[in-house]
Amino acid sequence: MRRFGKAWAVGALTVWPLSAVSADTPGVGSPDFVFSGFGTVGEVHSSDHSADFANSVLQPNGAGFTRNWSATVDSRIGGQLFARISPELSALVQVIFQQNYDGTFRPHVEWANIRYQITPTLSVRIGRFELPNFLFSDTRNVGFTLPWVRPPPEVYGLIPATASDGVGIAYRMVSSHLTNSTQASLVQETVQQPFGRGTLRARSSYNIANTTEYKSLTVRASYQHVRLTITSLDPFLDNFRMFGAQGVAIANRYDSDDKPASTEVVGASYDPGHLLLNAEWVHVRFDSFLGESAAWYASGGYRVGAVTPYLTYAYSSAKSNSDPGLPLTGLPPAAAGFAAGLNAGLNAILQGIRAQRTVSLGARWNVASNVDLKVQVDHTRVSASSDGNLINRQPGFMPGGRVNVFSATVDFVL
Amino acid sequence: MTCSITWPIVRAGLATFALALAHDTHAALAEVVAVVSAKSSITSLTKDQIKDIFLGKRTEFPDGSLAIPIDEVAGSAVRDEFYARFADMSPAQVRAHWSRIIFTGRGEPPKTAATGGEAKKLLLENHNIITYMDVRLVDSSVRVLHVP
Repeated sequence: MRRFGKAWAVGALTVWPLSAVSADTPGVGSPDFVFSGFGTVGEVHSSDHSADFANSVLQPNGAGFTRNWSATVDSRIGGQLFARISPELSALVQVIFQQNYDGTFRPHVEWANIRYQITPTLSVRIGRFELPNFLFSDTRNVGFTLPWVRPPPEVYGLIPATASDGVGIAYRMVSSHLTNSTQASLVQETVQQPFGRGTLRARSSYNIANTTEYKSLTVRASYQHVRLTITSLDPFLDNFRMFGAQGVAIANRYDSDDKPASTEVVGASYDPGHLLLNAEWVHVRFDSFLGESAAWYASGGYRVGAVTPYLTYAYSSAKSNSDPGLPLTGLPPAAAGFAAGLNAGLNAILQGIRAQRTVSLGARWNVASNVDLKVQVDHTRVSASSDGNLINRQPGFMPGGRVNVFSATVDFVL
Repeated sequence: MTCSITWPIVRAGLATFALALAHDTHAALAEVVAVVSAKSSITSLTKDQIKDIFLGKRTEFPDGSLAIPIDEVAGSAVRDEFYARFADMSPAQVRAHWSRIIFTGRGEPPKTAATGGEAKKLLLENHNIITYMDVRLVDSSVRVLHVP
């Protein structure tokens, strides 16, 4: 982090009255700019060469099929400019360089928002910012702040978007031992999907999150409701509409045309010193082909000097990875063949809902106060009816089975 | 007469020797104490209260007055010892804690003073400041906080 503008000590001696409003405001009327940077350089290897292991469904490729060792799964560089305009008003712009949905490396504006502190306990944010769905949502791009190479995809993969546009209010209450903060946000977002699947649009999205901190314990609970539009499957699903009421019902059930989706998350983190425990549970329900899922993980680490070995178990299950589809009995042979093809296509889509369990073993080594080195091995067992976490599936890819992934990353903050 | 002159010299010599020994043994860094201005009304804080103020979780002393933490610059041995002793945190843990706040724009880490001497000057300017220093820098302008 580099602070520039006015030298702070001069500011402190000249403009700090005894009744200063905030500890962090050396001056009034003279913006104080802080530049901060972060980054991760990583390599990932996956044992399954018929598909790619990626950090998110929004990535176009990864390790496995595209590359034996992939640097694009975790590597990224981010820069942030924070401006303290007045004790109440601040602005933030964060730009990230990483592989985009289309395979390019154009930098994108991850966040850009203005924050106004209405009272010491109440603040409002307008612009593009993160939604605090999970414990580590706020900084999931900043590897240095994460205990692992990446948050467990079983849980975090269910909400792949990392930024939303809108307005949010935050209320923070501090009592003698307890800190409680509540954030409520009204947002929308449009995310580009890889593989020519067009956009993912979330509208009328509201999110409420409550975080309680008691000594070394942090507990977060959040709820989000959105209306989600993904039109890429519409041409396929519309074929079902030729098969009468049953076909129309199937198309309506699985399309994602302004469909409601809800997410509930409960997570806890316990960090008293040497021990580090994290656990989160999530339930998502999409009224579309994305289906209904529940997932959780539990992770424990123990700090031995600068090294923290850790073990994580993550589990995700789909309510259903299949659908009987159209009944074929009574259809003329040609129509039955077409319907059977549609049924197979529908089930291939539902197979994409993640159902798997992963045991991860890794270690974080704090090389310097702002640099860490992490290595992690993931052993994943994918349910027989699911494609699991793998993207960019190639002919010959089979659902189910086991995947081993090895990752090594260096994270830093500036 | 001779005695009264030589004794402080001997004592200083012993202290220097003890200090040299202390520097040899890695753990025995000079004691770091949490301090406020001698004119502050704060006399005692728990380790958790001090930790919360320096980690930005709380901005007030228990009596409701504003608390302004001042850190020594990153990399200082006194700073590292302070966080090890009062928060059980390594420099990397402190940095990770602030990174989680900085990269969402929710707050800024404490301002820093280059040395304990500079921190002491700031204490004179502003009685809401809480900082820490090598116990050997403590003088009548500074109150060492009682930490039960």
